[in-house]
Amino acid sequence: MDLTLDLAAQLTWTGLASSSSYCLFALAFALVLKVNRIWNFAQAGLMVVAYFAMFIAFRWLGLSPLPGAILGAITTILAAMALEYWGFRILRQRNSSVLTFFIFTIAMSQFLIYMAELIFGTDPKTLFPSIIAPVRFVGPVVVSDWDLIALSLTVTLVGALWLFLRKTREGKALIAVSDEPDLAEMYGMNKDRAYLVSMALAAILMSAGMYLIGTKAAIFPSTPLSQFMIFAVIATIIGGIGNIFAAGIAGIFLALLQSYSILVIASKWQILLLYILIFVVIILFPQGVKLKLGKRGPARKAGQLPPADDVAEKAS
Amino acid sequence: MIEFLLTLAILAGINVLLACGFNLILGYGGLVSVAQPVFYAIGAYSSALLSMKLGLPVPLAMVLGALIAAIASFGLSLPSLRVSGDYLVIASMGFQLGIIHIINNVEFTGAASGLSGIVSAIESPWRSQIYAGTIIAICAVTILAIRWLVTGPYGRAITAMRNDEEVFASLGRDAVHIKVTLFAVGSGIAGLAGGLYAHYFLFLTPDQYGIFSSATLLTMVVVGGAATVRGPVLGAIFLTVLPEAIRFLNLPIAVMAPLQGVIFTGLVILFLFVKPEGLFGSKSGGGLDAWQSRAMSSSMRKGAK
Repeated sequence: MDLTLDLAAQLTWTGLASSSSYCLFALAFALVLKVNRIWNFAQAGLMVVAYFAMFIAFRWLGLSPLPGAILGAITTILAAMALEYWGFRILRQRNSSVLTFFIFTIAMSQFLIYMAELIFGTDPKTLFPSIIAPVRFVGPVVVSDWDLIALSLTVTLVGALWLFLRKTREGKALIAVSDEPDLAEMYGMNKDRAYLVSMALAAILMSAGMYLIGTKAAIFPSTPLSQFMIFAVIATIIGGIGNIFAAGIAGIFLALLQSYSILVIASKWQILLLYILIFVVIILFPQGVKLKLGKRGPARKAGQLPPADDVAEKAS
Repeated sequence: MIEFLLTLAILAGINVLLACGFNLILGYGGLVSVAQPVFYAIGAYSSALLSMKLGLPVPLAMVLGALIAAIASFGLSLPSLRVSGDYLVIASMGFQLGIIHIINNVEFTGAASGLSGIVSAIESPWRSQIYAGTIIAICAVTILAIRWLVTGPYGRAITAMRNDEEVFASLGRDAVHIKVTLFAVGSGIAGLAGGLYAHYFLFLTPDQYGIFSSATLLTMVVVGGAATVRGPVLGAIFLTVLPEAIRFLNLPIAVMAPLQGVIFTGLVILFLFVKPEGLFGSKSGGGLDAWQSRAMSSSMRKGAK
């Protein structure tokens, strides 16, 4: 396939629009990894909770988009906070190993996926009976209503998260706890509260991402674990572990890479690129691929990397 | 009924082999890889394809499958010497998912629809009985070999490396050699288990070897008691047999599979909170303590500096 200017514009636009949900998933994953210091593979299970809570709201209760989405987000927030309070907190108090967290988070995801399959069946489902969005041409580029909603929702949420972390007392406490939990506690910050808040924020991000996914395509209950979760993990690694907003940028980069890669490789091999990236990046760049920014931007500053000693120590 | 019980015994035996091989890497070596199912897959597919395409006798194909899995482990063990802990978990996950994705998309493995027409190991009216007996014998030999390995001088070296790699290396011992060997032996056992599975069940699909399979194997090791010889054996038997109990309820298949999953994952979560040291690990020895004690000794040393 030859790359023309029109095709490049279309691929870029489609890639950007598709990247919105991936960006949100990556932000959610990176936030919990930074603040709670947990590779939260249970995020896939929470995505399932978000999706099927909205499914009930829209398809069973007949709610309109806004109240249905809010109901889904509230349900997910409660589930995420319950996971932190009755799961992570107890394991943390026991000084559990990384393996315990891995098993717990994967098992929790699978448990919620199996529950969804038991209740809703194993066939793919959309959030609304019809997912056809009106489209229009802007120059040579096809732009759908879904694209516009996805991008504006993502920009709004990312901006809100940035403001929250930079401008609010609660957000600053989150960053402080993520950098030095014990020191932050000595200064009167409640780290357990910070962990709960970060889970709640992640729940909002993943609910929004699942809303976007479910209004564009049908998914199986297992799709969040087999696809979206992996994507978020890779974006977090590429962005540099501990760097929240860089993970979001990496999510966008990966979606664009996937979008453009249809020019050179068959779609069935695209995901292999991501798996190779996980392996290569973690082995060669365990501190993440550093973005060459002349000066630390405020967004990077808000989600700054942990002390270099910590990362180097873990990588050794 | 007898056939079902024999099949269950065969499956439990295969899981015992997998869990024992994994325990060598994870429990004794303290190498936190989750990619064990991929070596199971490599052994299964290699053995099946060698017998199908080249006409090799099944036992030879199984041995070669195990060897190929052991050699393939270098692809993970050598690069992973650079990283440890959660970094190794993620790197091994990328390795696993990448290989499974390739198996899922190339024609000669049967791609996503699976590999069928695999040569049976035994053609006999007593096929299941003979196979079950063979697997039990292989399990017994493997368990005894592992016991011999981990209780001898080499086993003490493995434990020393796991507990404090820096001190171990400072004594002039070669940690790299031990790590690579453990990966190769553990992966070879998984490859053998793969061959045994392939030539009995005669059908392979890439879905069997995904991330959930990693969590299942981890659970068998941890629930039984990591870094103990009998723990993973009993963990594998326990977690293979228990979810099968609801088979007798005669539920529709659409309900049965997820319900088995709910029971299995529910048990895993329960065990993590109620008995984290595993069924057969002591509070001061096996189970998850194997890593906790290592982390503690490491942090104590740092504190002393």
